[in-house]
Amino acid sequence: MRPLFSQTSVAAVRLMIAATFSVAIMVVDVRFDALHSVRFGIKTLLWPIEQISALPSVTAAHVGDWLVGHSRLVERLESLSLDNERLRTEQLKLQTLRAENSELRRLLSVRERVNERLLQAQIQRLSNDPFVHRATINRGQLAGVSVGQPVLSADGLVGQVVMVYPHASDVLLMTDSTHQLPVQVTRTRVRSIAMGTGRLDRLELRNLPDTVDIVVGDLIETSGLGGRFQPGIPVAYVTEVIRSPGQPFVRVVAEPVAPLSRLSLLMVDVSERGGL
Amino acid sequence: MTFLVTWLLTMLLITVPFPSAAALLLPHWGLLFVVWWALMRNYRLSMTLLMVASIPMDVAYGTALGLHALIFALLAYLLTLLGPRVRQVNWLRQSVVVFLVLLLAAAASYWGRTLTGQNPEFLLLVLQAFFTALAWTPVRFVFEWLAHLTGEPEVRTS
Repeated sequence: MRPLFSQTSVAAVRLMIAATFSVAIMVVDVRFDALHSVRFGIKTLLWPIEQISALPSVTAAHVGDWLVGHSRLVERLESLSLDNERLRTEQLKLQTLRAENSELRRLLSVRERVNERLLQAQIQRLSNDPFVHRATINRGQLAGVSVGQPVLSADGLVGQVVMVYPHASDVLLMTDSTHQLPVQVTRTRVRSIAMGTGRLDRLELRNLPDTVDIVVGDLIETSGLGGRFQPGIPVAYVTEVIRSPGQPFVRVVAEPVAPLSRLSLLMVDVSERGGL
Repeated sequence: MTFLVTWLLTMLLITVPFPSAAALLLPHWGLLFVVWWALMRNYRLSMTLLMVASIPMDVAYGTALGLHALIFALLAYLLTLLGPRVRQVNWLRQSVVVFLVLLLAAAASYWGRTLTGQNPEFLLLVLQAFFTALAWTPVRFVFEWLAHLTGEPEVRTS
């Protein structure tokens, strides 16, 4: 191999070339979204490495189960907790559906909703970069997952699928600073955009007019605008309403309903309307 | 061979699942990989190889492709210039120099992340640089051991 920097001036030139090339790749990747296939290929190649690196935690989990000494009991418990998670999610949706149903009945125009199909998934790993809120789940293309499908927990929305591989998928959590979500306040139906802040316990609603009717404790849910998420999925609770004197807009801070830092089991909405 | 082995070890460390809260306290293994190569074996490293090695790290971390290439290029440039002097000082001073260089890399990282739409807190990047510098000495010894195993010639240090 050739030496990296033989002379300072040559080194500076090489640095400039490398930096320019790097920035160009970043722009192409982020602004034009043109490197999906590269990411897909590399992630697929990295799959064996990820499996090996997950071995200690998987082994530790297995040893823990073994120490309990009742493997059947553990399996049964896992199965029941999965069912419980699914049922809790469905119950949350049923509440919203009931409210929507009564509203529709009032308007005398009842419309049949698309059936939801939830796929259970488990988080394999979270990104070790503190500024990237991405999770890899153990369901992929072969299980029917596709880009854009909403990901839920028993409590509410978690994020959406952004990359799909044969056996796994990447989920962008809604608190990632690049994520934006059309939402509405359940009580008043005020619409806004929930923006990720890069903190797992915080979302922000910006540019709401100063006169908006919103208070601490209000539930925020998906509005269904944009066509990616079904309306009525719980998103967050309002924790702070910041009104600055003289400013025409109010800033609203909310905490996600789903405990994003403690997630393990998830549901991917693989129904037709769930994806793009 | 040594490059491949150290890169594989780095990728393994990057992809080990940790709780989200631990991410703030983890050293950046990719930066340590570059620090070791640029500081201890810069005569064996090429910029092209470094950039190719950085792309899978972008994928593993979930950052924009090219972000790590930018940081690594800057880091390699600075450390290669400082290399001969830094190699001769003791481990503590080395860690201090590594920390200072990592601060500049953190600035590049901050700029790159902002460019790609992220909203990073600079203090957290400084914290990450601190933990990375703290891990430098043990990682250096592990990499030296790997280099020894793979038949890489040793470089005289203090």
